[in-house]
Amino acid sequence: MGADRAEDSTVTRVLVVDDHPMWRDSVARDLAARGYEVVGTAADAPSAVRIAAAVRPDVVVMDLHLGSTSGVDATRDIVSAAPDTRILVLSASGEQDDVLDAVKNGASGYLVKSASLDDLDDAVRRTADGDAVFSAGLAGLLLGEYRRMHDASDAGPTLTERETDVLRLVSRGLSARQIATRLTLSHRTVENHVQNTLRKLQLHNRVELTRYAIEHGITDDPA
Amino acid sequence: MSPVTAPVTDDAPDFLLPLWRAVVVFRLFAWLVAAASFIREWDRYPNHTTAIVLLVLMGGWTAVVTVAYGTDAGRRSRMAGYDLVVTVTFIAANLLTQPAAELIGSAPILTSLWATGPIFALAVERGRDGGLIGATIVGASLIALRQRLGDQEIFNTTLFFVAGVTLGYAATTTRRATAVLREALAAEGATAERERLSRSIHDGVLQVLAIVRRRGTEIGGEAAELAGLAAEQEIALRTLMTSRPSSAGGRVDLAATLRLRATSRVEIITPAGHLLLARRVVEEVAAAVGEALSNVAQHAGEDARAWVTVEDLGDQVMISVRDDGTGIPKDRLDLAKNTGHLGVEQSIRGRIIDLGGTVALHTAPEQGTEWELTVPKTRP
Repeated sequence: MGADRAEDSTVTRVLVVDDHPMWRDSVARDLAARGYEVVGTAADAPSAVRIAAAVRPDVVVMDLHLGSTSGVDATRDIVSAAPDTRILVLSASGEQDDVLDAVKNGASGYLVKSASLDDLDDAVRRTADGDAVFSAGLAGLLLGEYRRMHDASDAGPTLTERETDVLRLVSRGLSARQIATRLTLSHRTVENHVQNTLRKLQLHNRVELTRYAIEHGITDDPA
Repeated sequence: MSPVTAPVTDDAPDFLLPLWRAVVVFRLFAWLVAAASFIREWDRYPNHTTAIVLLVLMGGWTAVVTVAYGTDAGRRSRMAGYDLVVTVTFIAANLLTQPAAELIGSAPILTSLWATGPIFALAVERGRDGGLIGATIVGASLIALRQRLGDQEIFNTTLFFVAGVTLGYAATTTRRATAVLREALAAEGATAERERLSRSIHDGVLQVLAIVRRRGTEIGGEAAELAGLAAEQEIALRTLMTSRPSSAGGRVDLAATLRLRATSRVEIITPAGHLLLARRVVEEVAAAVGEALSNVAQHAGEDARAWVTVEDLGDQVMISVRDDGTGIPKDRLDLAKNTGHLGVEQSIRGRIIDLGGTVALHTAPEQGTEWELTVPKTRP
């Protein structure tokens, strides 16, 4: 058992979800070459959810346009079916609303497909480590989303001043290390702030979904 | 009809509805007035039974038109025309309640205010001409009933014309507004559908470009050049896809305007959706950002990347233009100022301060340059 666990912690198990066969194979091959174990591939949301629930990968590399099905739905369903699995969105179009929806529904990072293989490698590794993988673009979207929620009502989640500072610098293209230097924080603290901005949003989204479900009587929950 | 212009008429509100409701309410109210004045002037009606029968029939007809004007089918039929004919018959029926000689005098008539109902119904149904026809016929009927053309008759008929024509014009305008709104909704639906189609097509193209880019870079040599070309097209296409219609009501979307400046070295980061500002503000900010970016291209070094970040601060907008290049040495900035060479800094400062905004510049050798422009959303 001990040996198994040691092996589990060294090899990151990845599921690649993309409707484009050439791209799917290419990413799977690249990740395998970088030492990841690709435990499966899927072309649409239902099979992605089924496979993720069965094989419980560490990381799902998720496209958002899956033919007629949606990567946002798949993200939400995988998060509830396999809570330990982390989801990295790898999307071609960068459609802002889709990206926001995906991270609200539990994706912990976002990368455009034009990113280099080194960037992808780094992003999958950090996602497996539990870090949030933030591009400048995603940070900008999150800042906007917090602003929108703040303007819409007083009840929504808000950022601390420090979290705003960190997110703002991420949105300007600074790396975590550069931000740590500029704000005289530790690298780890910067990562934590970034993760918090994401977690608050995801928590808020779950609460909203639950409230909606209860109000509309579409839940089995006795609450 | 092409499939993308599906009719959406049911989605468009019918702005005529309130006018129809007013017509119906007016008719009910007028009937109550007729009943009340009959009771008040009881002694002046020689034949009570006939008057009561007439009043009940008027109430029945009021109920009929209330139902008819309250339904789509009733409004689309020629109900207002029938209403006019029936109402004129009721006006004539006043002859049964009073001797003709009395009517020529000052005897009360049952149908007085109630008889004006069809004028308004016709005006709403047919516009100005309907109002004119209704006013003419009702006015003429009343004059015929009284068999005289006194001040009172002229005054009443004039009122009928004014009310009928005014309401008719209002109804026509409302009908046109509804039609325009329907067209707009249909066009919007068609655009959304077309956008959805183009998104899925573009998504496929983007995928292929991304593959060419990655594989090409890995293979190297000429393939790497192809990869570079694919990368440029990929960014151009993604920019096109994320740039939405960018102006409304004389205001322009700052986010969409700046997104057009994305290149393989310049990343544009904005909140989702529109960020509408006055046209002049957007033009000046875009020009300032353009100057800062061309400064990056000229001085920051070949490999320098740049990030343009737009942040909505509520009553202000903050735009940051940052590069990771060589930075501007302080002596060069000072030199530019002292030699009267206005330079990029003063030009950017001038534009932003004119908008009531502020400019902060952080730069140091080898640490890149960061402009921070803050402009108010509305002029102070």
